[in-house]
Amino acid sequence: MPQFVYLIIAIVVIVALVAIFVISFIAYRRTPVPKGCEDLVANKEKCEGCLMSECPLAHGREEGH
Amino acid sequence: MSDEIARNRHKESFLSGIIKQNPLFVAILGMCPALAVTKTFEASFGMGLLFTFVLVCSNVIVSLLRKVVPEEIETPAHIVIIATFVTIVKMLTNALLPELYSSLGVFLSLLVVNCIVLGRSESFAKKNTVFDSFLDGVGNGIGYTLAISIIGIIREILGKGSLTVGKIFTFISYNGSPITIPILKNSVFDVSMGKIFSNPAGGFIVMGILLAIIAAVVNYNKAKKKAAAKSAAKPAPNTNLGGAK
Amino acid sequence: MNATVPFIVTFLLAIVNATLMDNVVLIRFYGICSFVGVSNKVKPAFSMGVAVAFVTIFASLVCWPLYNFVLVPAGIPFMDTVVYILVIASLVQLVGLVIKKYSPALYKAFGIYLPLITTNCAVLGVAQGNTDSGLSFGLSMAQAIGTSAGFLIIIFLMACIRSRLDAMNVPKAFKGIPIALIVAGIMSIALIGLGGIGS
Repeated sequence: MPQFVYLIIAIVVIVALVAIFVISFIAYRRTPVPKGCEDLVANKEKCEGCLMSECPLAHGREEGH
Repeated sequence: MSDEIARNRHKESFLSGIIKQNPLFVAILGMCPALAVTKTFEASFGMGLLFTFVLVCSNVIVSLLRKVVPEEIETPAHIVIIATFVTIVKMLTNALLPELYSSLGVFLSLLVVNCIVLGRSESFAKKNTVFDSFLDGVGNGIGYTLAISIIGIIREILGKGSLTVGKIFTFISYNGSPITIPILKNSVFDVSMGKIFSNPAGGFIVMGILLAIIAAVVNYNKAKKKAAAKSAAKPAPNTNLGGAK
Repeated sequence: MNATVPFIVTFLLAIVNATLMDNVVLIRFYGICSFVGVSNKVKPAFSMGVAVAFVTIFASLVCWPLYNFVLVPAGIPFMDTVVYILVIASLVQLVGLVIKKYSPALYKAFGIYLPLITTNCAVLGVAQGNTDSGLSFGLSMAQAIGTSAGFLIIIFLMACIRSRLDAMNVPKAFKGIPIALIVAGIMSIALIGLGGIGS
């Protein structure tokens, strides 16, 4: 197969990956937390060492600026 | 008046990344490269420079696009932006500073998931103006570079006994070869046990001790402040209580 | 005398090497942020280790073929970093999605750590390192398995040590991360010894 066909396949794969990423990201954010887990709050004790800045459970945790 | 507020904000964005909120020593982020590439001073310094470049570029672009990107896909967008810049930096480094490229190895690619770069775009660049984000990037970059350079110097001097400049940044040379400054070697302090510091274990130990020193300094300052606040709250001891009689 | 070593032996040795002598956290320095952050208590540490193991193995499984069968023939090998991070991030979100929907028990165990795995240097480090070193598929998977096992073992050990350390009289300045790093350093010395001290 000529060179540029491989290139087109690669570009299609990359675009597909981006699409999968964005779709799965939005879907993950939108699915509600399962029933028993609403009480998973970020209390100080559990999250003391955590360095994650985009934690969805961290309300009121000051971050940098 | 608002001019001065803006100028203060700029100053704050820039300076806080260097000492007060130093990303490595205070926020304790981005430790993976800090332990892995700091065997020599030059590699650490080079890493710091590349880190600064990626951070500044991604901060600027994220800030430029902050009103355009829909809120839901912010994080994926940031990741792609950062990955693009890291790829660019990889190619440039491979071409211009191949020694640095081979010393850093995988850790250059790992800048994509560097907690600091992602963290700054998520917490600062997406909410602030381009100029502030630029300053924030430069400030944090300088802070990080300073921090890992210090670790690099300590580990290289203790581990090899000398400081070598010019192996990576080949434009620094004397008679066409790197300059090696023997500091501990050939002197009374030549301890062969120092080899441990060039090893991975040494990285952990140096980092642990440095963080402990910084924690001690912070605790001391806090205690001083608390004592000062306490004595300011107490009434001054020389009120003339006796005068009322 | 030159009998070719059967591949299975090379494979198993590669796993052991990646687990211990070339340990992902203590020797190669990947995954330090998550390691130091989550190794406080035993149960979360174990959950984190399992989650990282799963993502690492799957990510390497997908990334190697993508690099060698898609990117290289197309002449764009430099896109590897972008592609790998897309794969890893998508994998993490997909796994999170499945867990959120179908297994509240698993979500309770390590749902919160999932986003933290995307930024874990170990996952990207292994995938990138495999193709940077030009390893074969078998050896790349050995690296991935060894890395996962190494991470799990070390984070579990560290959590056991740290949870006992909390009860002891650690000097104030060393409390928390500094002492954890020093402990890690000592464990690292043990592993270096295992590998033999070379220059």
